[in-house]
Amino acid sequence: MGHTIAEKILGQHAGGRPANAGEIVVADVDFAMIHDARAGNALKMIEKLGAKSLPHVKRVALVLDHYSPPPNMEAANTHVAMRAFADKYGSPLYDVGDGICHQVLPEGGHLTCGDLVVGTDTHSTTYGAFNAFGTGVEGTDVSAVMMTGKLWFRVPETIRIELNGPLQPGVWAKDVTLTMLGKLGAEGANYRALEYCGSGVSAMAIDDRMTLSNHAAELGAKAALLEADEKTFAWLKAHGAAAPKPVKADADAVYAQRIVIDTATLAPQVARQHNIDDVVAVPDVAGKKIQVALIGTCTNGRLDDIRQAAAILKGKKLAKGVRMIITPASRAIYLAAMREGLFEILTAAGASVEAAGCGTCVNITGHYIAADDQVVISSANRNFKGRLGNPKSEIWIGSAATVAASALTGVVTDARTVAGGDWRAAA
Amino acid sequence: MNIIKGCARIIGDEVSTDIHCSSKYLPGKDAAYIATVAFEQVAPGFAKAFNKGDVIVAGKNFGINSSREQAVHVMHRMGVSAIIAPSFGRQFYRNAINNGMPVIECDISGIVAGDAMEIDLAAGRIVVPAKNITRAVPPLPATVRTLLEAGGLIPFLQKHPDWNVGGEAA
Ligand code: SF4
Repeated sequence: MGHTIAEKILGQHAGGRPANAGEIVVADVDFAMIHDARAGNALKMIEKLGAKSLPHVKRVALVLDHYSPPPNMEAANTHVAMRAFADKYGSPLYDVGDGICHQVLPEGGHLTCGDLVVGTDTHSTTYGAFNAFGTGVEGTDVSAVMMTGKLWFRVPETIRIELNGPLQPGVWAKDVTLTMLGKLGAEGANYRALEYCGSGVSAMAIDDRMTLSNHAAELGAKAALLEADEKTFAWLKAHGAAAPKPVKADADAVYAQRIVIDTATLAPQVARQHNIDDVVAVPDVAGKKIQVALIGTCTNGRLDDIRQAAAILKGKKLAKGVRMIITPASRAIYLAAMREGLFEILTAAGASVEAAGCGTCVNITGHYIAADDQVVISSANRNFKGRLGNPKSEIWIGSAATVAASALTGVVTDARTVAGGDWRAAA
Repeated sequence: MNIIKGCARIIGDEVSTDIHCSSKYLPGKDAAYIATVAFEQVAPGFAKAFNKGDVIVAGKNFGINSSREQAVHVMHRMGVSAIIAPSFGRQFYRNAINNGMPVIECDISGIVAGDAMEIDLAAGRIVVPAKNITRAVPPLPATVRTLLEAGGLIPFLQKHPDWNVGGEAA
């Protein structure tokens, strides 16, 4: 009987032989991450254990991204404690403005194909885009990694999703995940790993693949794994990652479910207010008025998202009554976007740009609180009632292309119907 | 720890513990305070009427979208002895085990508030004598029971830094 990518990676880290879905294994963790929304309590507890009991502390990165910059005293004090901890123990630290954990870990070369990576954040599934088993844990788990370099895992069953055909211009990985959310429902892949495969994946650039693995968290997925290819290897090499140990699924691997999505004919999708699985095709709701457009977060704050927005807004103005905020996912993306002149285009159009970080994703960051009855269209990943601090506001979720096209017209708009909506980086 | 006895306290489907039972949306409030108001919005009076040793009997996807382990600390403070639900949010399930809170996936139909229940973790059995209910559930793996018995992951590792859980699961 063959094995899935998840079974193989977990097995390789737990003694060597492939593990079987359902088993509990104790596995060696290659790298871990803790961010500022979790570090407060955890670091106090970890400090009590003492340096002698933390032999693996250097393979844990500390990231100051959620409270970037800190919106309250508590967060500011946590930041000071995190910096002191990193100084004392030698853990890598990403400071305010460096970027979101899920972006800076791969950019910092901290992971490679075949790795097992955990982070104190649900969207740690992002690392699956690089053929690494990435999954969300909590502060206690990260303490355990610092102490022993290991963690327990229940080996997940896997759902294999074949993406048939390259996406049309104006359609992005975000639209694929929204389609999946419409099919399976939020948490419809609870406890399970996803394996995305097919020509739709091969055609995607790394930025889009990261969206695919990242946004799997809304499906409840424990990991969302892609096979590695030349694009993966080239990206990892360019970012100084260790030599890849790519892992493929066996042809006779056992899957809990198989799904095929005809990506070549897929239309852009949006999730309507309050429920990430209330998904409809953009053309079906085109014309819905919006007042706020947000581009950013670990799901869609990458360079290609900002490039796509700039392609749509180049030489144009935001629709009257629309405000737009762009938050790059990392300092590296910020710099690249600046060098490409994208911020000039977007700022001239009427948008504002914030320093890299979690930004406008959720009200705990203190960056954006919606007004009563305001309709926000965002490239983020979650839209439950009150996520932007006001239960009387609506959050609609779509790709950066959909957000930018909607910002241009003032109503929910299919990017395929506006100039520049067909932008995509040459693969 | 293998046998838990307590009274059922009922809560609905899709309850996020981040929202209803942690400090995430009540910054600056401590666990002691939250333990007195937890779940208020989804089940008014829930925390006030909670007795030490009671079992939370929840609907599907308990802990959905939740990742803060502080929610489990709050539940310990409330005196929760175990949680049963048809399904759990993944991260919540992990947090519960890492923090010494027994969680059991089980059909909850027929169980009402106040029912005395008995949960056998090793055998994998839930019994509600007054309702003549006996339900078999997959027994918790030995690794998980060892963690629970130790009171959670960190106390476990302080005793067993080599992760040696012995027996069937390693
Ligand atoms: S961008 Fe949003 S979802 Fe991503 S890590 Fe930050 S707060 Fe979480």
